[in-house]
Amino acid sequence: MKLLTHNLLSSHVPGLRPGGGFPLRIELGRPSELPPEPSPGYEADEEFLRRLHHVLLEVEVLEGSLQCPDSGRRFPISRGVPNLLLSEDEA
Amino acid sequence: VGCDRSKNLVDICGEKHFQAFVCDALSVPIRSGSCDACISIAVIHHFSTAERRLATIRELARLLRPGGTALIYVWAMEQEYKNQKSKYLKEKNGSKNKEKEMNTGTAQRPLNDQGPDNCSQDSAWSNQLLNDFKDESCGAMPVADFRLPVHTNRTSFHSQDLLVPWHLKGCTKKKKESIDTVVVPGGSKELQELSPVFHRYYHVFSEGELEAVCRSLDCVKVQKSYYDQGNWCVILEKL
Repeated sequence: MKLLTHNLLSSHVPGLRPGGGFPLRIELGRPSELPPEPSPGYEADEEFLRRLHHVLLEVEVLEGSLQCPDSGRRFPISRGVPNLLLSEDEA
Repeated sequence: VGCDRSKNLVDICGEKHFQAFVCDALSVPIRSGSCDACISIAVIHHFSTAERRLATIRELARLLRPGGTALIYVWAMEQEYKNQKSKYLKEKNGSKNKEKEMNTGTAQRPLNDQGPDNCSQDSAWSNQLLNDFKDESCGAMPVADFRLPVHTNRTSFHSQDLLVPWHLKGCTKKKKESIDTVVVPGGSKELQELSPVFHRYYHVFSEGELEAVCRSLDCVKVQKSYYDQGNWCVILEKL
């Protein structure tokens, strides 16, 4: 799962407040390589853009999980594939 | 990004380094209005009630940004249209031994190495009680002994709701025999196993049906509606 894909995903656990499912928290062992916020004028900052491109499109989460920010429900990622199926009782 | 309800199929996408995830078409875990375009190919015809089919289209529309477009393909009841047989029907004329069976509803160019060898199927009525297909939410009359016909592959459809057989790959011509041991010349014994057949539910769409379902939603506009090789198709625009 690329970070760009993660950017589109939202938790769909029923009963969340609007926007309560986004963004899903990626759980991994590694800390982030990017600053939390882009600094002003980042569009011109080549070095930053390269790092951003790398993280968005060249890094893949292979094993880990995605956690719904509001409900805490975890969705597993295995072999690069997130499984966001809800169980019968949840849906 | 792609998604499907089958984890095993999505894993194959992952192996090929495509971006894909597992989810149900009735509840897609993607933010509303975040897609420029969506496609739903041979999916909606697997949903067993009109209500659920409408719900999948509504969900598809939710994902689109205003002005975004969706393409939907579903299997058509009419496999012969304007005097032309679809490829699905035509391929019956090929050698039976080499015939590949389409697993999906779209009878497009044959998929390489996909699908099992075609073996003879019965056009029988299934005696399954379809408790699963009762739509409990609308509190309707209970459907007691409701039977779905089992389709004979590569023939025309006689019913809009049916089960289509799918033979697991790797079967041989001998698969119709029972599980008794068979003595073959030379004295060696071979165990002939029955190859599993799965029955997959389809609701094949009649002319105009898909378009009508889409028109019942006021968040989308039908841009185009057409027939393509045994499929009914629509292009929708999110308003």
